[in-house]
Amino acid sequence: MDKFKEIIRQYPFLGFVIAFIILMLVPSVFFTDLYQSHLASLICINIIVAAGLNIVKGFCGQVTVGHVGIYAVGSYTAGCMFLYLGSGLWLTLPAAILIAGLFGMAFAIPSFRLEGPYLALATLGGGEAIRLFIENGDFFMSTYGISNIPQPIIFGVPFDTPDKYYYIAMPIMLIAIYFSFSVLRSSVGRAFMAVREDPISAAASGINVKKHKMLAFVLSAMFAGGAGAVYAHLPPGYIHPNNYTVIEMVTFLAMVVFGGLGHIWGGIIGAIIITIVYDLTRPLYEYQLFIFGLTIVLTILFMPKGIGGFIDKYFIDRRFKTKTGAASK
Amino acid sequence: MLLKTKKLMKAFGGLKAINKVDFELPANEIRGIIGPNGSGKSTFFNLVSGVYEPDPGSYIEFDGKDITNEPPHKVGELGLARTFQLLRLYQDMSVINNVMSGYHTLVPYSFIDAVTGRKKIWDQEKNIKEEMMELLSFVGLADYAELNASELSGGQRRLLVLARAIAGKPKLLMLDEPAAGLSPVNVDNLMKILMRLKEKYGLTLIIIEHILKVVMDTCSKVTVLDHGEKIAEGTPTQIKDDNAVIEAYLGKKMDDEEMRKALAV
Repeated sequence: MDKFKEIIRQYPFLGFVIAFIILMLVPSVFFTDLYQSHLASLICINIIVAAGLNIVKGFCGQVTVGHVGIYAVGSYTAGCMFLYLGSGLWLTLPAAILIAGLFGMAFAIPSFRLEGPYLALATLGGGEAIRLFIENGDFFMSTYGISNIPQPIIFGVPFDTPDKYYYIAMPIMLIAIYFSFSVLRSSVGRAFMAVREDPISAAASGINVKKHKMLAFVLSAMFAGGAGAVYAHLPPGYIHPNNYTVIEMVTFLAMVVFGGLGHIWGGIIGAIIITIVYDLTRPLYEYQLFIFGLTIVLTILFMPKGIGGFIDKYFIDRRFKTKTGAASK
Repeated sequence: MLLKTKKLMKAFGGLKAINKVDFELPANEIRGIIGPNGSGKSTFFNLVSGVYEPDPGSYIEFDGKDITNEPPHKVGELGLARTFQLLRLYQDMSVINNVMSGYHTLVPYSFIDAVTGRKKIWDQEKNIKEEMMELLSFVGLADYAELNASELSGGQRRLLVLARAIAGKPKLLMLDEPAAGLSPVNVDNLMKILMRLKEKYGLTLIIIEHILKVVMDTCSKVTVLDHGEKIAEGTPTQIKDDNAVIEAYLGKKMDDEEMRKALAV
C-alpha cells in the first residue's frame, strides 16, 4: 500500500487515470434511473465550483459571495455563443473559462483594499449586479432564459441524455480537480495560504500579495466559468437568471465550509454531500436557504475546519505520535 | 555598506516617529538597536522593509540598490528578511509549511509548471522540503513539522519565526525583539542558535532587544534611538557609559539619598 502511495505521489496523473476508470464504471454499477445520472452530473459541476471557490476562499482567505455571478457569466457565455454563433460545448467551454477569468480579475480589485465582511458585501453586490444585468437584458433573453442549448456530439454519438452527459461532465471535473491539486500543492498554494494567514508577513517573505490575490480570484473564476458552461449544456440545456441567485451562492459556500476551508478534498466531499442534501430537501423549498445557512453557522461553530479538519486531524496526530515515539527510543 | 539610510524620516501626523536617521551597516556585522518604547525602533524596521512608505527626502539603500519606495515583497526578494514583534506566524499552517513559504522567492519552478503539475515539480518540492526539514532540525523543531503553528509553545514560536525568516537565505536579517517573553535558559539557547546561524549562512543581523544582556553579549555595535532620533552609536561598552543613553534608556544608578527623594514624591 505504501509503495502504491509513493507511485501515486510521483506520478499524480496516474491517480487521476485510475479515478477516471472507476468513475466511468460507477453509473453502470450503481445508477438505476436517469435522475441519478443527472444528479451525478450536477455533483460534478458543483465539485468544479467548490474546488474553485476553495482556492480563493479556503486557501487565499478572500471572502467572496459573488462567485455565483461568475458562474452565471460562464453559463451565459455558453448560452449566448450557442444562441448567436451556434457553438457547441468544445468552443463555449474555453470561451467561458476565459471570459470568467476576466470577470475574476475585476472581482479581485476590491480585495486589494477590502477585507472580510466588507469584501463579502462588495462581491455580493458584484454578483447580484451580474444577475440583474442578465435578467434585464434582451440580449440574454432576459427572464425567458436560454433553452435548447445543445449537448456535444462525439464521433457521431450525441451525449444528449443525462446518463450520457455524465461522461462529459465527469472527465472535465477530474481535469479541474487535477489542476486545483497541482496549483494548491505547489509553492503557489503555499503563498495563497500565507496571504490568508498574514499578508504583511507574507510580503516580508517576498510574496507579492496583490499578485497572488489576483491569481486566486482569476483561477477560481475560471473554475466557476467552466462549471457554468458545463451546466448550461447539461440536458435539457436550459438556463435562467433564477438559477444564479444568492441561494445558489449560499449552497456553494455551504459546500466549501462544510467540507473544510483550505482543504482540497474537503471542498469535493462537501460538494457531493451538499448537492445530495439539496436535492433531497427540494420538497422543503421554502426552508432550503434556512437549512444551508444554519449548516454554515453550525459548521463554523462546532467544526470550524469541516470534514477536512477531521481527516487532517486523524492523519496528523498519528504521524506526530509515531515521530515522537521514534525520537524517545 | 549592506544597508544605508540617509535622512530617513517618517511622521505620523505631527509625531516624528523617525527623524533624519542616518544609518550605515557593513556586511557581516551584528548590530543592536536599543531605545525606550516608542523611540521608533520598530518604525525603523517597517520603513526599511517597506511596510511603511518613508517621507519624501528619505533614502534607503540595500546591497547597492535604492529600495526607498519599493513594496515589501520586492525588498524581501532582494534578500532582506525580518521578523515581527508580534510574530505574525501563519497560525493555521503546519510548521513545515510556515518555513517552506519563507522559501517562496527561491522556488525554482514557474507558475505554468505548477499549474500543469509536472513531475519535475514534485521532485523539486521534495528537495525543498528536505532542505527545510534540515533547517527545522537546526532550530530544534523537526519533531513538530506536521503540527499546526498555533499548537507550538511561545518559545517554539519564536524559533519558528526565526527559521521562516532564514528559509529565504537572506543577506540581512532584522529581528524585532527575538527574545521577548523567553525564560533566561531559552534566551541563551536562542542566542546560541543565532550565532550558529550567522556562521552557517553568513548573515548580517540587526537586533532590536530590550534584554540588554543579549545586546551586550552578541552585538559588535549598538545604535540607540530616542524620540525618533539617533542619540548614540558605538560598541556596547561605549554605549554603556554614554550619558545621553543613560539619561534616555538605561537609567542611572541612584545613591540612597536620591532613592529616598524619588520615592517620597
